[in-house]
Amino acid sequence: MIRALVMTHGRIGQELVGVVEMILGPIEGLEFLSNHGLSGDDLQEKVGQWLKAGPAAGGDEAVPSMIFIDDFGGSCGVAAQLCCGQNRDVAIVSGVNLAMLLGFVTWREDSDLDGLVRQIVQKGRESIVRLGT
Amino acid sequence: MPVVLARIDDRLIHGQVTAGWSPRVRPTHIILANNDVAADAWQSRVYTSSVPPGIETSVLSIAAAAAALNRGDCGNGRAILLTASPGEMAELVRAGVPLARINLGGVHYKAGRIEMLPWVYVDAQDVVALRRLLDAGVEVNAQQVPGGREVDVDEALLARTEGRL
Repeated sequence: MIRALVMTHGRIGQELVGVVEMILGPIEGLEFLSNHGLSGDDLQEKVGQWLKAGPAAGGDEAVPSMIFIDDFGGSCGVAAQLCCGQNRDVAIVSGVNLAMLLGFVTWREDSDLDGLVRQIVQKGRESIVRLGT
Repeated sequence: MPVVLARIDDRLIHGQVTAGWSPRVRPTHIILANNDVAADAWQSRVYTSSVPPGIETSVLSIAAAAAALNRGDCGNGRAILLTASPGEMAELVRAGVPLARINLGGVHYKAGRIEMLPWVYVDAQDVVALRRLLDAGVEVNAQQVPGGREVDVDEALLARTEGRL
């Protein structure tokens, strides 16, 4: 099953994951990480630890993983790319919002990583709409 | 090229620089001076791709950054100059780069460092480097983001910090 890490400034990731679980119930393999108080090196190390802690830890089988970032060009995006931006089993996507995470949980068992990323990016974009008159 | 912001920040290029300071100081260039990043094509690409369009980025070793800034061959734009540590900024000043004022923007905790300010953790080497900057007549101002808390880094603060190391 595809895992995900929501990696953000402050408590955005923690709150997003909390709200997803409030809506859908407890979710396995959806975790968060804040950049608060961490140097770029430490942030990279934390992402590396999360990757290694996957269900296939110790085995040879790669676990497809997604890393959701709040802000393109920030320390989370830099650290995630430096850690695993060249790893084909990891997809890094910026601009995380609630619709994307709900889509992730809903679709992750029926898609491969690339297909899931396409669905989620589309869903994220579609969820940004001006409402009202 | 005039350096409109010379900043010490161990996250190098990130939101505080691109979203926080850039609209304020309106750089045309960001010069990232760091030997490790300059020696690694992937790291250079990641940092460069984090910069908003319209701002050019150069990733240079400390020596190459000093040479380029001293030759004044970076064009007529306005540059943000970034190093990850006080030592690297002191090296640039020692190499003759004319910097009147340094922004101490963020150095995070790691083993061996103690808190000098809530956003600046230092070890003995960092204190020595900051003192070298002051001795060279450079003003060192600690501030994370525009409009945020500003602290003048002076000998008294360095001595107090050193006493706790």
